[in-house]
Amino acid sequence: MKQMNDRYEGQTYYELLEVNPQAGPSDIYLAYQRARATYSASSPALYSMFTPQEAQDLMALIEEAFQTLSHQARRTAYDQKLGLVKAPPTKPTSAYESTPAKSSSDAWIGPVKVVRRSNEELPKGFARTKFSVYEVKAELEQEIQNVQECDGLFLQKARLYKGVTLEQMSEEIRVIKATLVALESNDLDVLPVAVFCRGFVIQYARVLGLDENKVASAYMKFFKARKVVK
Amino acid sequence: MSQNILRPDFTQLRGRSEHGSTIIAVGGGKGGVGKSFVSSSLAIFLAQLGYDTLAIDLDLGGANLHTSLGVPIKDRGINEFILDPSLKFTDITQETHWPKLKLISGSSETLNVANVDDEQRSRIMSSIARYQCDFTVLDLSAGTHLSTLDFFLMANHKVVVFTPEPSSIENAYRFLKASFFRKLRRYEFQLQLKTQIDGLMANRKAHNINSPADLMHALVKQEPILGPKLKHILEDMNFEIVLNQARTRQEIELGHALQSVCVKYFGFPCHFLGGLEYDNAVWQSLRQKNHLLMANRQTHLYAQLMAMARKIGKPRREKTAA
Repeated sequence: MKQMNDRYEGQTYYELLEVNPQAGPSDIYLAYQRARATYSASSPALYSMFTPQEAQDLMALIEEAFQTLSHQARRTAYDQKLGLVKAPPTKPTSAYESTPAKSSSDAWIGPVKVVRRSNEELPKGFARTKFSVYEVKAELEQEIQNVQECDGLFLQKARLYKGVTLEQMSEEIRVIKATLVALESNDLDVLPVAVFCRGFVIQYARVLGLDENKVASAYMKFFKARKVVK
Repeated sequence: MSQNILRPDFTQLRGRSEHGSTIIAVGGGKGGVGKSFVSSSLAIFLAQLGYDTLAIDLDLGGANLHTSLGVPIKDRGINEFILDPSLKFTDITQETHWPKLKLISGSSETLNVANVDDEQRSRIMSSIARYQCDFTVLDLSAGTHLSTLDFFLMANHKVVVFTPEPSSIENAYRFLKASFFRKLRRYEFQLQLKTQIDGLMANRKAHNINSPADLMHALVKQEPILGPKLKHILEDMNFEIVLNQARTRQEIELGHALQSVCVKYFGFPCHFLGGLEYDNAVWQSLRQKNHLLMANRQTHLYAQLMAMARKIGKPRREKTAA
Protein backbone atom coordinates (compact mmCIF):
# COMPACT_ATOMS: atom_id res chain seq x y z
CA MET A 1 0.00 0.00 0.00
CA LYS A 2 2.79 2.36 0.89
CA GLN A 3 4.40 1.66 -2.43
CA MET A 4 1.22 2.54 -4.28
CA ASN A 5 0.98 5.74 -2.33
CA ASP A 6 4.51 6.53 -3.35
CA ARG A 7 3.88 5.86 -6.97
CA TYR A 8 0.86 8.06 -7.18
CA GLU A 9 1.97 10.69 -4.73
CA GLY A 10 1.42 14.12 -6.16
CA GLN A 11 -1.51 12.87 -8.20
CA THR A 12 -4.82 14.42 -7.46
CA TYR A 13 -7.95 12.39 -6.87
CA TYR A 14 -9.09 13.56 -10.27
CA GLU A 15 -6.02 12.08 -11.90
CA LEU A 16 -6.48 8.86 -10.00
CA LEU A 17 -10.05 8.54 -11.19
CA GLU A 18 -9.02 9.82 -14.62
CA VAL A 19 -11.70 12.46 -14.75
CA ASN A 20 -11.67 16.14 -15.52
CA PRO A 21 -11.71 18.43 -12.45
CA GLN A 22 -14.89 19.94 -13.91
CA ALA A 23 -16.58 16.54 -14.18
CA GLY A 24 -20.09 16.31 -12.82
CA PRO A 25 -21.25 13.77 -10.25
CA SER A 26 -22.49 11.35 -12.90
CA ASP A 27 -19.13 11.38 -14.70
CA ILE A 28 -17.36 10.69 -11.45
CA TYR A 29 -19.69 7.85 -10.69
CA LEU A 30 -19.17 6.39 -14.16
CA ALA A 31 -15.39 6.65 -13.82
CA TYR A 32 -15.59 4.95 -10.46
CA GLN A 33 -17.71 2.12 -11.82
CA ARG A 34 -15.24 1.66 -14.65
CA ALA A 35 -12.30 1.64 -12.27
CA ARG A 36 -14.02 -0.97 -10.16
CA ALA A 37 -14.52 -3.19 -13.17
CA THR A 38 -10.94 -2.57 -14.30
CA TYR A 39 -9.21 -3.40 -11.03
CA SER A 40 -11.37 -6.28 -9.94
CA ALA A 41 -9.48 -9.56 -9.61
CA SER A 42 -11.15 -11.11 -12.66
CA SER A 43 -10.50 -8.24 -15.03
CA PRO A 44 -8.70 -9.32 -18.20
CA ALA A 45 -7.27 -5.83 -18.66
CA LEU A 46 -4.80 -6.31 -15.81
CA TYR A 47 -3.20 -9.34 -17.32
CA SER A 48 0.61 -9.08 -17.28
CA MET A 49 0.56 -5.47 -16.09
CA PHE A 50 -0.48 -5.44 -12.45
CA THR A 51 -0.43 -8.19 -9.87
CA PRO A 52 -3.67 -8.81 -7.95
CA GLN A 53 -2.05 -7.21 -4.91
CA GLU A 54 -1.16 -4.09 -6.83
CA ALA A 55 -4.63 -3.93 -8.31
CA GLN A 56 -6.10 -4.18 -4.84
CA ASP A 57 -3.91 -1.37 -3.55
CA LEU A 58 -4.80 0.76 -6.52
CA MET A 59 -8.46 0.10 -5.95
CA ALA A 60 -8.08 1.26 -2.34
CA LEU A 61 -6.65 4.55 -3.60
CA ILE A 62 -9.44 4.91 -6.12
CA GLU A 63 -11.97 4.15 -3.42
CA GLU A 64 -10.47 6.90 -1.32
CA ALA A 65 -10.64 9.31 -4.26
CA PHE A 66 -14.26 8.43 -4.89
CA GLN A 67 -15.18 8.86 -1.23
CA THR A 68 -14.04 12.45 -1.46
CA LEU A 69 -15.18 13.37 -4.94
CA SER A 70 -18.61 11.81 -4.68
CA HIS A 71 -19.48 13.93 -1.67
CA GLN A 72 -20.26 17.48 -2.51
CA ALA A 73 -19.02 19.14 0.66
CA ARG A 74 -15.88 17.03 0.84
CA ARG A 75 -15.21 17.63 -2.83
CA THR A 76 -15.56 21.38 -2.41
CA ALA A 77 -13.19 21.31 0.54
CA TYR A 78 -10.75 19.23 -1.47
CA ASP A 79 -10.99 21.59 -4.44
CA GLN A 80 -10.19 24.46 -2.14
CA LYS A 81 -7.19 22.59 -0.85
CA LEU A 82 -6.01 22.03 -4.39
CA GLY A 83 -6.64 25.66 -5.21
CA LEU A 84 -9.12 24.78 -7.94
CA VAL A 85 -11.75 27.05 -6.44
CA LYS A 86 -11.49 29.97 -4.10
CA ALA A 87 -12.81 29.56 -0.61
CA PRO A 88 -16.28 31.03 -0.46
CA PRO A 89 -16.37 34.48 1.11
CA THR A 90 -18.17 34.62 4.39
CA LYS A 91 -20.78 36.95 2.96
CA PRO A 92 -22.98 35.66 0.18
CA THR A 93 -21.60 36.70 -3.21
CA SER A 94 -24.71 36.93 -5.30
CA ALA A 95 -25.95 40.46 -5.58
CA TYR A 96 -29.45 39.25 -5.17
CA GLU A 97 -28.70 37.42 -1.96
CA SER A 98 -26.83 40.27 -0.41
CA THR A 99 -29.58 42.81 -0.79
CA PRO A 100 -31.93 42.34 2.10
CA ALA A 101 -35.60 41.90 1.36
CA LYS A 102 -37.26 45.26 0.92
CA SER A 103 -39.93 44.89 3.52
CA SER A 104 -37.63 43.69 6.20
CA SER A 105 -35.79 45.87 8.58
CA ASP A 106 -33.28 43.03 8.82
CA ALA A 107 -34.26 42.38 12.35
CA TRP A 108 -36.14 39.22 11.64
CA ILE A 109 -33.37 37.51 9.70
CA GLY A 110 -31.39 36.01 12.49
CA PRO A 111 -27.86 34.76 11.99
CA VAL A 112 -28.33 31.97 9.52
CA LYS A 113 -26.43 28.88 10.34
CA VAL A 114 -26.52 26.11 7.81
CA VAL A 115 -26.03 22.75 9.40
CA ARG A 116 -26.31 19.18 8.24
CA ARG A 117 -29.35 17.35 9.34
CA SER A 118 -28.63 15.77 12.68
CA ASN A 119 -30.64 14.27 15.42
CA GLU A 120 -29.39 16.31 18.27
CA GLU A 121 -31.90 18.17 20.35
CA LEU A 122 -32.38 21.82 19.47
CA PRO A 123 -32.56 24.50 22.11
CA LYS A 124 -36.01 25.79 22.84
CA GLY A 125 -37.33 28.30 20.35
CA PHE A 126 -35.46 26.80 17.40
CA ALA A 127 -36.66 24.60 14.58
CA ARG A 128 -35.03 23.07 11.52
CA THR A 129 -35.63 22.52 7.86
CA LYS A 130 -33.75 20.06 5.75
CA PHE A 131 -30.95 22.54 5.31
CA SER A 132 -30.96 24.82 8.29
CA VAL A 133 -31.73 25.58 11.86
CA TYR A 134 -33.64 28.76 12.49
CA GLU A 135 -35.02 30.67 15.39
CA VAL A 136 -38.78 30.54 15.57
CA LYS A 137 -40.32 33.99 15.41
CA ALA A 138 -43.91 33.96 16.58
CA GLU A 139 -44.81 37.06 14.61
CA LEU A 140 -43.69 35.59 11.31
CA GLU A 141 -45.19 32.21 12.02
CA GLN A 142 -48.44 34.00 12.58
CA GLU A 143 -48.15 35.81 9.29
CA ILE A 144 -47.45 32.60 7.42
CA GLN A 145 -50.29 30.91 9.20
CA ASN A 146 -52.84 33.54 8.18
CA VAL A 147 -51.74 34.03 4.61
CA GLN A 148 -54.59 34.56 2.16
CA GLU A 149 -52.89 36.04 -0.86
CA CYS A 150 -49.16 36.23 -1.23
CA ASP A 151 -46.56 37.24 -3.77
CA GLY A 152 -42.96 36.26 -4.42
CA LEU A 153 -41.63 38.60 -1.83
CA PHE A 154 -43.56 36.71 0.79
CA LEU A 155 -42.03 33.45 -0.40
CA GLN A 156 -38.60 34.99 -0.25
CA LYS A 157 -39.24 36.30 3.20
CA ALA A 158 -40.27 32.87 4.35
CA ARG A 159 -37.23 31.30 2.76
CA LEU A 160 -34.82 33.75 4.34
CA TYR A 161 -36.54 33.36 7.65
CA LYS A 162 -35.99 29.62 7.46
CA GLY A 163 -32.38 30.16 6.42
CA VAL A 164 -32.47 28.23 3.16
CA THR A 165 -30.29 29.61 0.36
CA LEU A 166 -31.35 29.94 -3.24
CA GLU A 167 -28.75 27.40 -4.31
CA GLN A 168 -30.04 24.82 -1.89
CA MET A 169 -33.59 25.45 -3.00
CA SER A 170 -32.67 25.26 -6.66
CA GLU A 171 -30.76 22.03 -6.14
CA GLU A 172 -33.49 20.47 -4.07
CA ILE A 173 -36.54 21.20 -6.19
CA ARG A 174 -34.65 21.05 -9.51
CA VAL A 175 -35.69 24.49 -10.68
CA ILE A 176 -32.98 26.73 -12.06
CA LYS A 177 -31.96 29.68 -9.98
CA ALA A 178 -33.03 32.23 -12.56
CA THR A 179 -36.61 30.98 -12.35
CA LEU A 180 -36.56 31.10 -8.58
CA VAL A 181 -35.24 34.65 -8.67
CA ALA A 182 -38.04 35.58 -11.05
CA LEU A 183 -40.56 33.90 -8.80
CA GLU A 184 -39.38 35.74 -5.73
CA SER A 185 -39.16 39.10 -7.47
CA ASN A 186 -42.60 38.83 -9.07
CA ASP A 187 -41.15 38.91 -12.55
CA LEU A 188 -44.09 37.14 -14.13
CA ASP A 189 -42.93 37.61 -17.70
CA VAL A 190 -40.06 35.27 -17.14
CA LEU A 191 -42.13 32.65 -15.40
CA PRO A 192 -43.80 29.81 -17.25
CA VAL A 193 -47.55 29.23 -17.39
CA ALA A 194 -49.66 29.04 -14.23
CA VAL A 195 -49.67 25.30 -13.82
CA PHE A 196 -45.88 25.14 -13.67
CA CYS A 197 -45.66 28.05 -11.29
CA ARG A 198 -48.09 26.37 -9.00
CA GLY A 199 -45.91 23.29 -9.07
CA PHE A 200 -42.85 25.32 -8.21
CA VAL A 201 -44.57 27.02 -5.29
CA ILE A 202 -45.80 23.71 -3.91
CA GLN A 203 -42.29 22.29 -4.01
CA TYR A 204 -40.88 25.46 -2.59
CA ALA A 205 -43.30 25.47 0.31
CA ARG A 206 -42.64 21.83 1.01
CA VAL A 207 -38.92 22.44 1.41
CA LEU A 208 -39.63 25.24 3.85
CA GLY A 209 -42.07 23.09 5.78
CA LEU A 210 -45.04 25.35 5.06
CA ASP A 211 -48.57 24.27 4.34
CA GLU A 212 -48.09 23.75 0.64
CA ASN A 213 -51.72 23.85 -0.47
CA LYS A 214 -52.44 26.98 1.44
CA VAL A 215 -49.37 28.79 0.18
CA ALA A 216 -49.94 27.61 -3.38
CA SER A 217 -53.53 28.78 -3.52
CA ALA A 218 -52.56 32.05 -1.89
CA TYR A 219 -49.85 32.56 -4.48
CA MET A 220 -52.06 31.60 -7.38
CA LYS A 221 -54.60 34.22 -6.34
CA PHE A 222 -51.90 36.83 -6.67
CA PHE A 223 -50.58 35.30 -9.89
CA LYS A 224 -53.94 35.24 -11.64
CA ALA A 225 -54.83 38.73 -10.52
CA ARG A 226 -51.60 40.08 -11.92
CA LYS A 227 -51.88 38.20 -15.17
CA VAL A 228 -55.44 39.41 -15.79
CA VAL A 229 -54.59 43.02 -15.03
CA LYS A 230 -51.90 42.84 -17.65
CA MET B 1 26.67 16.24 -61.27
CA SER B 2 27.75 19.46 -59.66
CA GLN B 3 27.27 19.61 -55.94
CA ASN B 4 26.43 23.05 -54.70
CA ILE B 5 27.98 23.29 -51.27
CA LEU B 6 26.26 26.51 -50.40
CA ARG B 7 22.85 25.07 -51.11
CA PRO B 8 22.96 21.48 -50.00
CA ASP B 9 20.12 19.20 -50.92
CA PHE B 10 18.06 19.05 -47.74
CA THR B 11 15.37 16.91 -49.27
CA GLN B 12 17.47 13.87 -48.57
CA LEU B 13 17.63 14.66 -44.86
CA ARG B 14 15.13 13.49 -42.36
CA GLY B 15 13.69 16.45 -40.59
CA ARG B 16 10.61 18.18 -39.53
CA SER B 17 11.12 21.45 -41.32
CA GLU B 18 8.58 20.73 -44.00
CA HIS B 19 5.18 19.46 -43.31
CA GLY B 20 4.69 15.89 -44.41
CA SER B 21 1.52 14.29 -43.22
CA THR B 22 -0.13 13.16 -40.06
CA ILE B 23 1.12 9.64 -39.56
CA ILE B 24 -1.06 6.95 -38.08
CA ALA B 25 0.65 3.70 -37.15
CA VAL B 26 -1.43 0.65 -36.42
CA GLY B 27 0.40 -1.97 -34.39
CA GLY B 28 -0.33 -4.40 -31.62
CA GLY B 29 1.81 -7.36 -30.83
CA LYS B 30 -0.21 -10.35 -31.81
CA GLY B 31 -1.06 -11.49 -35.29
CA GLY B 32 -4.63 -11.87 -36.42
CA VAL B 33 -6.09 -9.17 -34.20
CA GLY B 34 -7.11 -7.09 -37.18
CA LYS B 35 -4.28 -4.62 -37.67
CA SER B 36 -4.68 -4.76 -41.43
CA PHE B 37 -8.42 -4.47 -41.15
CA VAL B 38 -8.24 -1.48 -38.83
CA SER B 39 -5.57 0.29 -40.87
CA SER B 40 -7.27 -0.33 -44.20
CA SER B 41 -10.61 0.81 -42.81
CA LEU B 42 -9.15 3.92 -41.24
CA ALA B 43 -7.42 4.73 -44.50
CA ILE B 44 -10.61 4.27 -46.50
CA PHE B 45 -12.69 6.35 -44.14
CA LEU B 46 -10.16 9.14 -44.03
CA ALA B 47 -10.08 9.09 -47.82
CA GLN B 48 -13.88 9.14 -47.88
CA LEU B 49 -13.85 12.13 -45.57
CA GLY B 50 -11.87 13.92 -48.23
CA TYR B 51 -8.32 13.63 -46.99
CA ASP B 52 -5.49 12.61 -49.28
CA THR B 53 -4.44 9.37 -47.70
CA LEU B 54 -1.60 6.97 -48.24
CA ALA B 55 -1.70 3.45 -46.83
CA ILE B 56 1.63 1.70 -46.47
CA ASP B 57 2.04 -1.98 -45.77
CA LEU B 58 5.01 -2.24 -43.45
CA ASP B 59 4.36 -5.83 -42.52
CA LEU B 60 7.46 -6.67 -44.48
CA GLY B 61 7.41 -10.40 -43.95
CA GLY B 62 3.71 -11.00 -44.34
CA ALA B 63 2.08 -8.26 -46.31
CA ASN B 64 -1.64 -8.38 -46.84
CA LEU B 65 -2.94 -4.85 -46.79
CA HIS B 66 -3.71 -5.03 -50.49
CA THR B 67 -5.96 -8.02 -49.79
CA SER B 68 -7.85 -6.08 -47.13
CA LEU B 69 -8.30 -3.26 -49.60
CA GLY B 70 -9.31 -5.60 -52.38
CA VAL B 71 -6.60 -4.36 -54.71
CA PRO B 72 -4.62 -6.62 -57.06
CA ILE B 73 -0.90 -7.04 -56.48
CA LYS B 74 1.26 -4.62 -58.36
CA ASP B 75 4.76 -5.37 -59.51
CA ARG B 76 6.37 -2.65 -57.44
CA GLY B 77 5.93 -2.27 -53.70
CA ILE B 78 7.84 -1.43 -50.56
CA ASN B 79 10.20 -4.36 -51.10
CA GLU B 80 11.37 -3.05 -54.43
CA PHE B 81 11.78 0.31 -52.77
CA ILE B 82 14.07 -1.24 -50.20
CA LEU B 83 16.15 -3.06 -52.77
CA ASP B 84 16.41 -0.26 -55.30
CA PRO B 85 17.79 2.99 -53.85
CA SER B 86 16.80 4.98 -56.92
CA LEU B 87 13.07 4.50 -56.39
CA LYS B 88 10.93 7.07 -54.64
CA PHE B 89 7.61 6.65 -52.89
CA THR B 90 5.84 8.36 -55.75
CA ASP B 91 7.09 5.60 -58.06
CA ILE B 92 5.60 2.77 -56.08
CA THR B 93 2.19 4.06 -55.03
CA GLN B 94 -0.77 2.39 -56.63
CA GLU B 95 -4.37 3.44 -57.09
CA THR B 96 -7.23 1.87 -55.19
CA HIS B 97 -11.01 1.86 -55.55
CA TRP B 98 -11.10 5.12 -53.63
CA PRO B 99 -9.91 8.18 -55.52
CA LYS B 100 -8.23 9.83 -52.55
CA LEU B 101 -6.55 6.70 -51.26
CA LYS B 102 -3.21 5.47 -52.52
CA LEU B 103 -1.46 2.29 -51.50
CA ILE B 104 2.09 1.14 -51.19
CA SER B 105 1.79 -2.59 -50.98
CA GLY B 106 4.32 -4.88 -49.40
CA SER B 107 3.83 -8.04 -51.32
CA SER B 108 6.76 -9.56 -53.05
CA GLU B 109 8.38 -12.80 -53.90
CA THR B 110 11.73 -11.58 -52.67
CA LEU B 111 13.20 -13.49 -49.78
CA ASN B 112 14.91 -12.00 -46.77
CA VAL B 113 13.36 -8.59 -47.20
CA ALA B 114 11.71 -8.81 -43.79
CA ASN B 115 15.06 -8.11 -42.21
CA VAL B 116 15.82 -4.53 -43.09
CA ASP B 117 19.03 -3.01 -41.83
CA ASP B 118 19.34 0.35 -40.12
CA GLU B 119 20.08 2.25 -43.26
CA GLN B 120 17.14 0.84 -45.16
CA ARG B 121 14.86 1.45 -42.21
CA SER B 122 16.04 5.00 -41.95
CA ARG B 123 15.41 5.54 -45.65
CA ILE B 124 11.86 4.22 -45.37
CA MET B 125 11.19 6.39 -42.36
CA SER B 126 12.45 9.55 -43.99
CA SER B 127 10.39 8.82 -47.10
CA ILE B 128 7.30 8.37 -44.95
CA ALA B 129 8.00 11.57 -43.07
CA ARG B 130 8.46 13.57 -46.26
CA TYR B 131 5.61 12.20 -48.30
CA GLN B 132 3.13 14.99 -48.97
CA CYS B 133 -0.47 14.15 -48.17
CA ASP B 134 -2.95 14.56 -45.31
CA PHE B 135 -2.71 11.20 -43.64
CA THR B 136 -0.32 8.29 -43.88
CA VAL B 137 -1.54 5.04 -42.42
CA LEU B 138 1.10 2.45 -41.55
CA ASP B 139 0.11 -1.17 -41.22
CA LEU B 140 2.74 -2.72 -38.96
CA SER B 141 3.75 -6.32 -38.48
CA ALA B 142 3.09 -8.45 -35.46
CA GLY B 143 5.79 -8.87 -32.88
CA THR B 144 8.21 -6.41 -31.34
CA HIS B 145 10.86 -6.24 -33.99
CA LEU B 146 12.99 -3.12 -33.71
CA SER B 147 11.98 -1.74 -37.09
CA THR B 148 8.31 -2.24 -36.19
CA LEU B 149 8.86 -0.30 -32.98
CA ASP B 150 10.62 2.50 -34.83
CA PHE B 151 7.85 2.82 -37.38
CA PHE B 152 5.36 2.82 -34.54
CA LEU B 153 7.20 5.51 -32.59
CA MET B 154 7.52 7.86 -35.54
CA ALA B 155 3.75 8.16 -35.85
CA ASN B 156 1.63 11.00 -34.53
CA HIS B 157 -1.18 8.60 -33.75
CA LYS B 158 0.09 5.40 -32.22
CA VAL B 159 -2.84 3.06 -32.52
CA VAL B 160 -2.68 -0.28 -30.75
CA VAL B 161 -5.17 -2.97 -31.64
CA PHE B 162 -6.44 -5.21 -28.87
CA THR B 163 -8.95 -8.00 -28.99
CA PRO B 164 -10.69 -9.15 -25.81
CA GLU B 165 -8.58 -12.31 -25.51
CA PRO B 166 -5.87 -12.61 -22.87
CA SER B 167 -3.25 -13.61 -25.40
CA SER B 168 -3.86 -10.52 -27.50
CA ILE B 169 -3.94 -8.30 -24.43
CA GLU B 170 -0.67 -9.72 -23.20
CA ASN B 171 1.04 -9.28 -26.55
CA ALA B 172 -0.28 -5.78 -27.04
CA TYR B 173 0.97 -4.78 -23.59
CA ARG B 174 4.29 -6.37 -24.41
CA PHE B 175 4.37 -4.30 -27.57
CA LEU B 176 3.62 -1.08 -25.67
CA LYS B 177 6.27 -1.84 -23.07
CA ALA B 178 8.79 -2.56 -25.81
CA SER B 179 8.02 0.74 -27.55
CA PHE B 180 8.26 2.58 -24.27
CA PHE B 181 11.70 1.18 -23.59
CA ARG B 182 12.80 1.68 -27.17
CA LYS B 183 12.03 5.37 -26.85
CA LEU B 184 13.52 5.51 -23.37
CA ARG B 185 16.77 3.99 -24.63
CA ARG B 186 17.00 6.57 -27.38
CA TYR B 187 16.49 9.58 -25.14
CA GLU B 188 18.28 8.39 -22.04
CA PHE B 189 21.38 8.38 -24.19
CA GLN B 190 20.75 11.87 -25.53
CA LEU B 191 20.07 13.28 -22.09
CA GLN B 192 22.93 11.31 -20.57
CA LEU B 193 20.72 9.61 -18.08
CA LYS B 194 21.73 6.10 -18.99
CA THR B 195 23.81 5.46 -15.90
CA GLN B 196 21.10 6.75 -13.59
CA ILE B 197 18.41 4.67 -15.27
CA ASP B 198 20.55 1.57 -15.33
CA GLY B 199 21.32 2.16 -11.67
CA LEU B 200 17.64 2.46 -10.84
CA MET B 201 16.77 -0.60 -12.87
CA ALA B 202 19.52 -2.63 -11.20
CA ASN B 203 18.05 -1.82 -7.80
CA ARG B 204 14.44 -2.19 -8.77
CA LYS B 205 13.50 -3.84 -5.50
CA ALA B 206 15.03 -1.12 -3.37
CA HIS B 207 13.37 1.64 -5.36
CA ASN B 208 10.08 -0.21 -5.70
CA ILE B 209 10.05 -0.04 -9.45
CA ASN B 210 7.45 -2.25 -11.04
CA SER B 211 6.32 -0.14 -13.92
CA PRO B 212 7.44 2.70 -16.17
CA ALA B 213 5.41 5.07 -14.00
CA ASP B 214 7.52 4.01 -10.99
CA LEU B 215 10.72 4.38 -12.94
CA MET B 216 9.88 7.90 -14.04
CA HIS B 217 8.80 8.81 -10.55
CA ALA B 218 12.08 7.59 -9.08
CA LEU B 219 14.07 9.28 -11.83
CA VAL B 220 12.38 12.63 -11.35
CA LYS B 221 13.21 12.41 -7.66
CA GLN B 222 16.84 11.64 -8.36
CA GLU B 223 17.33 14.02 -11.28
CA PRO B 224 15.16 17.06 -10.72
CA ILE B 225 16.15 18.79 -13.97
CA LEU B 226 16.72 16.15 -16.61
CA GLY B 227 14.23 13.69 -15.14
CA PRO B 228 11.16 15.81 -15.84
CA LYS B 229 12.51 16.58 -19.28
CA LEU B 230 12.72 12.92 -20.17
CA LYS B 231 9.35 12.35 -18.61
CA HIS B 232 7.90 15.08 -20.76
CA ILE B 233 9.39 13.57 -23.89
CA LEU B 234 8.01 10.17 -23.05
CA GLU B 235 4.59 11.58 -22.28
CA ASP B 236 4.30 12.44 -25.95
CA MET B 237 3.77 8.78 -26.68
CA ASN B 238 0.10 8.96 -26.02
CA PHE B 239 -1.00 5.48 -27.13
CA GLU B 240 -4.43 5.16 -28.70
CA ILE B 241 -6.31 1.98 -28.04
CA VAL B 242 -8.66 0.22 -30.42
CA LEU B 243 -10.61 -2.76 -29.22
CA ASN B 244 -11.39 -5.02 -32.13
CA GLN B 245 -13.65 -8.06 -32.40
CA ALA B 246 -15.79 -7.29 -29.39
CA ARG B 247 -18.54 -9.88 -29.28
CA THR B 248 -20.87 -7.86 -27.10
CA ARG B 249 -21.41 -4.25 -26.28
CA GLN B 250 -20.19 -4.97 -22.76
CA GLU B 251 -16.90 -6.11 -24.15
CA ILE B 252 -16.37 -2.69 -25.66
CA GLU B 253 -16.27 -1.41 -22.08
CA LEU B 254 -13.04 -3.35 -21.76
CA GLY B 255 -11.45 -0.61 -23.86
CA HIS B 256 -11.89 1.84 -21.01
CA ALA B 257 -10.31 -0.63 -18.65
CA LEU B 258 -7.33 -1.05 -20.97
CA GLN B 259 -6.98 2.71 -21.18
CA SER B 260 -7.02 3.05 -17.43
CA VAL B 261 -4.46 0.29 -16.94
CA CYS B 262 -2.15 1.87 -19.51
CA VAL B 263 -2.46 5.28 -17.88
CA LYS B 264 -1.68 3.86 -14.45
CA TYR B 265 1.09 1.64 -15.68
CA PHE B 266 2.94 4.01 -17.99
CA GLY B 267 2.04 7.18 -16.17
CA PHE B 268 1.13 9.18 -19.25
CA PRO B 269 -2.17 9.79 -21.00
CA CYS B 270 -3.52 7.08 -23.30
CA HIS B 271 -6.80 7.22 -25.13
CA PHE B 272 -9.45 4.72 -25.99
CA LEU B 273 -10.11 5.50 -29.61
CA GLY B 274 -13.05 3.18 -30.03
CA GLY B 275 -14.38 -0.34 -30.05
CA LEU B 276 -15.28 -2.41 -33.08
CA GLU B 277 -17.82 -5.16 -32.97
CA TYR B 278 -17.14 -8.59 -34.30
CA ASP B 279 -18.87 -8.95 -37.63
CA ASN B 280 -18.98 -11.98 -39.88
CA ALA B 281 -19.33 -9.67 -42.84
CA VAL B 282 -15.66 -8.77 -42.49
CA TRP B 283 -14.63 -12.35 -42.99
CA GLN B 284 -17.03 -12.82 -45.86
CA SER B 285 -15.93 -9.73 -47.70
CA LEU B 286 -12.30 -10.73 -47.24
CA ARG B 287 -13.08 -14.02 -48.92
CA GLN B 288 -14.52 -12.16 -51.85
CA LYS B 289 -11.45 -9.92 -51.87
CA ASN B 290 -13.69 -6.99 -51.43
CA HIS B 291 -13.66 -4.46 -48.66
CA LEU B 292 -16.53 -4.63 -46.24
CA LEU B 293 -17.31 -0.98 -46.73
CA MET B 294 -17.96 -1.36 -50.43
CA ALA B 295 -21.19 -3.20 -49.79
CA ASN B 296 -22.27 -2.87 -46.20
CA ARG B 297 -23.22 0.42 -44.68
CA GLN B 298 -25.99 -0.57 -42.33
CA THR B 299 -23.80 -2.21 -39.73
CA HIS B 300 -22.65 -1.10 -36.30
CA LEU B 301 -19.16 -1.67 -37.50
CA TYR B 302 -19.54 0.97 -40.19
CA ALA B 303 -20.67 3.56 -37.67
CA GLN B 304 -17.93 2.63 -35.22
CA LEU B 305 -15.24 2.93 -37.87
CA MET B 306 -16.66 6.21 -39.06
CA ALA B 307 -16.60 7.58 -35.51
CA MET B 308 -13.00 6.52 -35.17
CA ALA B 309 -11.93 8.11 -38.44
CA ARG B 310 -13.69 11.33 -37.48
CA LYS B 311 -11.88 11.40 -34.14
CA ILE B 312 -8.56 11.19 -35.92
CA GLY B 313 -9.54 13.34 -38.85
CA LYS B 314 -11.07 16.33 -37.15
CA PRO B 315 -8.63 17.84 -34.73
CA ARG B 316 -5.39 18.43 -36.51
CA ARG B 317 -2.95 17.70 -33.77
CA GLU B 318 0.39 19.28 -33.45
CA LYS B 319 3.12 17.22 -34.92
CA THR B 320 5.44 15.71 -32.39
CA ALA B 321 8.86 14.38 -33.11
CA ALA B 322 9.20 10.70 -32.38
